[in-house]
Amino acid sequence: MNTKFKLMKNLKITLLFAFASLFSFGLFAQDEADLLIGVWEPSHGKAKVKIEKIGSKYYGKIVWLKEPNDPETGKPKVDKNNTDESMRSTPLRGYRILKDFEYTDKKTWTEGTIYDPENGSTYSSTIKMKDENTLDIRGYIGVSALGRTDVWKRLQMPSKKK
Amino acid sequence: MLNVKTILFCAFILGGISQLNAQEDTSNYEEDYSIYDNLDYVDEGTKSFASAKISGISPARLISVGYDFQGSYDISAGGIGAFGPQTARVNSTQGLRIGANIPVISKNSLIVQLGGQIWDVNYDFNDPNSLTHPMLSALSNNNLTTLGLNSTIFKPLNETNFILVQLASDMNGDFDLSNFQAFKYNTYSAAAIWGKRPSDYKQWGVGLSRTYRAGELNYIPIFLFNWTSPTSKWGTELLLPARGHIRYTLNRQNMLFFGFELEGNSYKFDEGGISMANNLFTPVDDLQIRRSELRVRFQWQRKLIGFVWIALEAGYRNNYSFNVDEVPGGQDFYRGFFGDQPLAIENSLTNPLYFNVSFNLVSP
Repeated sequence: MNTKFKLMKNLKITLLFAFASLFSFGLFAQDEADLLIGVWEPSHGKAKVKIEKIGSKYYGKIVWLKEPNDPETGKPKVDKNNTDESMRSTPLRGYRILKDFEYTDKKTWTEGTIYDPENGSTYSSTIKMKDENTLDIRGYIGVSALGRTDVWKRLQMPSKKK
Repeated sequence: MLNVKTILFCAFILGGISQLNAQEDTSNYEEDYSIYDNLDYVDEGTKSFASAKISGISPARLISVGYDFQGSYDISAGGIGAFGPQTARVNSTQGLRIGANIPVISKNSLIVQLGGQIWDVNYDFNDPNSLTHPMLSALSNNNLTTLGLNSTIFKPLNETNFILVQLASDMNGDFDLSNFQAFKYNTYSAAAIWGKRPSDYKQWGVGLSRTYRAGELNYIPIFLFNWTSPTSKWGTELLLPARGHIRYTLNRQNMLFFGFELEGNSYKFDEGGISMANNLFTPVDDLQIRRSELRVRFQWQRKLIGFVWIALEAGYRNNYSFNVDEVPGGQDFYRGFFGDQPLAIENSLTNPLYFNVSFNLVSP
């Protein structure tokens, strides 16, 4: 009877640790996934992109443009190269160019797309975090080999205005 | 004492925290974009590098499949050994052009592309049975083929300066794909450019090249100048003296070009007939056609669907060289402007109109 009680107690402790480990791992993975959140600068330096999380996916929108106004019109730049005519008057600032990224593992986000406003094309995309402040963003056509990788650098998060 | 209730409670708490974290929505905080005006890199040592492209430039081609057609013209082949000169009418010259250029390293600090190409040039003579000149017979019997491998390396030095290197090796001749010619006859081309990219709308550079674009081996200075107007309507894409185009952008999926390209290489051809005939005189060996043409053209590039673009071009093919040199054992020589090496055969061509159509998978 005494041995049976000890066995039960050991089993409960083991289960508790197992649950705790499982949830800690989940939280750790969640923290790692959220490392993507922040403001980033593509290599061309013409824009800053803020990556945020909506639901379980990650999205990135343009929050700053080196050249905010269209030299032709003098007005704020719009998505004039979009193949969808109804989108051509949408302002580029605030435009979501990264969509639907899901965290897989090993600091990699997949299943997303990246939009290039310079030519109005959307590419399949994966993101790999080289270190906490550097992203390799690959846009490709069909297979990863037919693509190009751009390196984005993390910028300081702005302080919120009150 | 630990019991099941305790375990479930812990699981509920931990699970709840995890769930809250997963549903965090950060999309709606801060719409005042001015707060992003002055942000520093988190890493203080972060370096920026010059981009390989400028705004508005035509899209690079990853894979290209094209067809080239030249209208009718005359070839006047000069005499060699026992063979006298002969002029023959060519109804058309046409062939497939397939190429690929794949980035194998693509980082801000280095881009390396590897590529390959197969070009085919078929000479359709008006009356092939009348051909007595061995060079014309060789052209009538066999296509001229180019199998090439190339690499482009773009190395930015800092935010504005860069180095561009291009290397290529081509097997050119009247061989067929089941019977390659010896590698010793391959031609090797190279170009190195030091350049600046002072803005998103301009890049320029100067350099040197070893090239066969004029048919025979040459060492010449080169000049790169890519420019786009602030409105992105007009631009230039120049790599002189190889090619130069003025660009007019209707929109980013629809562009017009006007300019030229100097296109050429040195092609080994089967000189069996000449050698046999010349046993009576002096033996000739390893003859190569120094083929070069200046193509003045209009070009229209347009997105068809997805990432597939069509390029249509039409223009005037102006013969620059079609002479033949003797290159024993593939050991090429540099004649330049002042060399006095004699030509083996001196040929001339009249000039037809041409067109070219290609379908291209363009790069991101």
